[in-house]
Amino acid sequence: MEADPKEARKSTKGGWIFLLAGLIGALIVGWIIFPVLLYSEKSQPLTFSHASHGPESDAGLDCEECHFFYKDGTFSGIPKIKKCIECHEDPESPLTESPEEVKLFTEYVGPEKEIPWLIYSRQPDCVYFPHIAHVKMAEIECSVCHGDFATRKTSPPYKVNRLTGYSIDIWGRNIAGYKRNTWDNMKMDDCAECHTKKGKEDNNACFVCHK
Amino acid sequence: MEFNRRNFIKFAVGGTGGILLSPLPWKLIDDIAIWTQNWSWVPVPVRGKFSYLNSVCTLCPGACGIQVRKVGSRAVKIEGRGDYPVNQGGICPLGMAGLQILYNEGIRWKAPMKRVGPRGSQEWKEIPWDEAIDELATRIKGLREKGSPEKLAAIDGNQSRSTMALLIKRLLSSIGSPNYMVMPREEDTYDMVNFLMQGSRGPIAFDLENADFIVSFGCSLFDGWGAPGRMLSASREWVKNKTYLVQIDPRTSNTASKADLWLAPFPGTEAALALGMAHVIIKEKLYSKEFIENHTFGFADWFEEDGVKHKGFSRIVLEKYSPQVVENITGIKGRVIIEVARKFASAHAPIALAGRGKGTLPGSLYEFMAVHALNALKGRVNKKGGPLIADDIPLAQWSDPEYDPVAMDGLKKARVDLAKTPRYPFSRSLVNKFTETINNSHGSPIDTLMLFSANPAFTIPDSQSFIKAMAKIPFIVSFSPFMDETSLMADLILPDHTHLEKMADIVWPTGIQYPLYALSQPVVKPIYRTEHSGDVIISLAKRIGGPVSGSFQWANFEEALKERVKGLYDSGREKVSWADIKENGYWSIPAHSFEGGSDIFQTPSKRFEFFSTEIELAIKAYSKGKSFDDALLDLGISSKGDEVYMPHYEEIKSGADKKEYPLLLFPMELINLASGWIGNPPYLNKTLFDHQLKRDDLFVEVNPKTASQYRLKEGSKAIIRSPKGELRVRIHLFHGAMPDVIFIPFGLGHTAYDKYLKGKGVNPNEIIDQVEDPLSGQPVWWNTRVKLIRI
Repeated sequence: MEADPKEARKSTKGGWIFLLAGLIGALIVGWIIFPVLLYSEKSQPLTFSHASHGPESDAGLDCEECHFFYKDGTFSGIPKIKKCIECHEDPESPLTESPEEVKLFTEYVGPEKEIPWLIYSRQPDCVYFPHIAHVKMAEIECSVCHGDFATRKTSPPYKVNRLTGYSIDIWGRNIAGYKRNTWDNMKMDDCAECHTKKGKEDNNACFVCHK
Repeated sequence: MEFNRRNFIKFAVGGTGGILLSPLPWKLIDDIAIWTQNWSWVPVPVRGKFSYLNSVCTLCPGACGIQVRKVGSRAVKIEGRGDYPVNQGGICPLGMAGLQILYNEGIRWKAPMKRVGPRGSQEWKEIPWDEAIDELATRIKGLREKGSPEKLAAIDGNQSRSTMALLIKRLLSSIGSPNYMVMPREEDTYDMVNFLMQGSRGPIAFDLENADFIVSFGCSLFDGWGAPGRMLSASREWVKNKTYLVQIDPRTSNTASKADLWLAPFPGTEAALALGMAHVIIKEKLYSKEFIENHTFGFADWFEEDGVKHKGFSRIVLEKYSPQVVENITGIKGRVIIEVARKFASAHAPIALAGRGKGTLPGSLYEFMAVHALNALKGRVNKKGGPLIADDIPLAQWSDPEYDPVAMDGLKKARVDLAKTPRYPFSRSLVNKFTETINNSHGSPIDTLMLFSANPAFTIPDSQSFIKAMAKIPFIVSFSPFMDETSLMADLILPDHTHLEKMADIVWPTGIQYPLYALSQPVVKPIYRTEHSGDVIISLAKRIGGPVSGSFQWANFEEALKERVKGLYDSGREKVSWADIKENGYWSIPAHSFEGGSDIFQTPSKRFEFFSTEIELAIKAYSKGKSFDDALLDLGISSKGDEVYMPHYEEIKSGADKKEYPLLLFPMELINLASGWIGNPPYLNKTLFDHQLKRDDLFVEVNPKTASQYRLKEGSKAIIRSPKGELRVRIHLFHGAMPDVIFIPFGLGHTAYDKYLKGKGVNPNEIIDQVEDPLSGQPVWWNTRVKLIRI
């Protein structure tokens, strides 16, 4: 028996709904579900408040107090526990009432153990980034790359890409890679964009950073 | 509205569209690419704080300054040192890959070893250092007790004038053996040129940065010649100064392709080309009259005191090397020769360079003299931009070693390699003749052979002969840090540190214009149970005892080195302390003293000699008791008359029949392929193209015209056969290769080392038909006749 052509036409009528369903479903997967699945989330070992340490706070520390340059020009990065102990020295007289400070004393200051910070801006192995060339020579503010960390009250959750093992802050929190601020992304193209803008195209040569 | 096939397709199309409109695929592509870089087995340096140490690379005589980046105790990167005069930040691929020489455990001897199985069986026993040194000391003491200390020989690959080389030489002479040999090197030929034409010993330096017209007779200036880091900086200067470069090369090497003019004469006829240029310069009177008249000897015809007339260099060149004649010899058009000669002569600071490839292998003495004669014609010797006579580096001399009667008798014996004998009066050592003597002897005239920083079983031409000779020598001691071909045939291994683990010095890096003493320092602690060969020699001498011990008064190598360096301080020219030299890594006088006049020439005539009095004396001495023609025949000289004392063209003879072996094998050196005693590091293997090395197959470069005669295509397999043996290779068609010549790189075809090197490619030295250079007796690498067989 031959199929009734009318029947066939009827069954495809409204097929656009399927098209739309597929489209919308895929868009939801691509834009919402995928980014959630792609990253796992970890919290920092301690909640650190830049706001209560920085220049505007009671502590009133300059950025360079903790994030300083060594004599040979290398950057200290995140301070070692010894630096914390310079102020947080006595568990009997804590500086705040924060339970995080108690944790600092019991878990790290007491046993003099380094805090295993998760670094948002860690670059791949064998990529060489000299802070001194950017901060001292080019006089670029920290926030240009790192955002406004200095006034943050908490440490944002550290999200790591399950495939690459890199922090989400390298690609950027926007899954499409769309960037609104200079500090949103930290991929190679972002370095190159700034070099080019500042007339330093020579520094886009491979061996300048990949050593 | 059922979910049938058509609607499913619509759903799928919508889904695909939606995915493509989302960042998912693009982000995944990026992530997957990164994921592949982060596989757990991909090696990455440890994380940690960087520290930097300065040293000097001693992998070649170039002595480039290096900066080693370390994380903790691990060296993670080698870079060129920017504040170092030789290379100014530049570095060659081998220098950069130096970490793989240090850390590749598959190629290193990890402790002293004694052979337990038959030779070559690779059955070894690890022994304590004391026992190892004692064994060698006992053997040498035995030779001395028997009154035959000359049966001890050493082959040394260390840089000439280095403290290490002097220590080894001193050890042999205090024991009583004249058989201290160095590996053949280009410096040998230039040393002879310097001695015969200028009367001084030592290297000739080249002020390339200040030259404005360079004729390189085969030096691959951009392919690893000299100190490669220096050549990189020099090439920048040349672009700035519009320096004109003429490259003479049978193949479009990197250097040829970057030159202003590329000439490809038949290989081995470079001397004729140089003399063809000289002909034009003399004929058109373009030479420096002031220099020729006041500071040279033998340019014009002259009479001896007894009235014997001699032809001058100018007459011989005018008679024998007209552009037409030279065109027939070299294949270069006469008008091109005239044009280049005129350009050379009209340049403000022209310079002519002799040599081949990286400038590490000896060349033909008469050819080097012919090229250097061009410099003299223009009066460029010791002028800015010219070839320079080396200034003295005021290192302190050690006191003379002590000799007992045994040593004195031993030192009077003839050298096994015949160097410095009337037959080979000018060569310092001839490893090729050493091999020949041993192979032609009934037993072995050598009982114990020591090897330092050398791998002759791989790098000597006709390497099979050397291996045959080794088999005859009763006892072989290798000081190599590496499990190379030569040390695998040894009986006792006393492994040295690698270049990053030890102190060493280079006195006057190759070709540098100004005096420089470079000090290499350990950047990491020794990884294995190795010992500095310098310390081992001092300890060995003490155990041999007697006057040998007395000649080695130092506690260790560093003390011996420091005693020499003290001379730099005492000289007062540049007040520097040991601490300064250690910190800087070098001592240097930043400028050469450009002196003119005859007082710079120490020849018998006190002038620059076109007619070499020393050659005349040597040939006369050798021909005593035989006919003059026989003497010349013996010396390998085919010319007659006054020409034999002067730069001239000698067709290098080859025993092979040209009909049977119609092609020429031309071994070449590549900047990214280590070809000396250092095995090529895996990093550099990765830089070879698929048409150079594919899996284990080595490709040779052949002109398509030649290849088509043998019905060979790109990638075809073939056999290259010389009278000495055959090699299996594949063919790479290359228009830049001269027809009828096969170009094969040095450095592959190891039978030792690890999986990254062993069995990869073939070693041209196995089939090089060693021809002797006339007069000097040095091996000639570039004259092997071969045939090509399609398989």
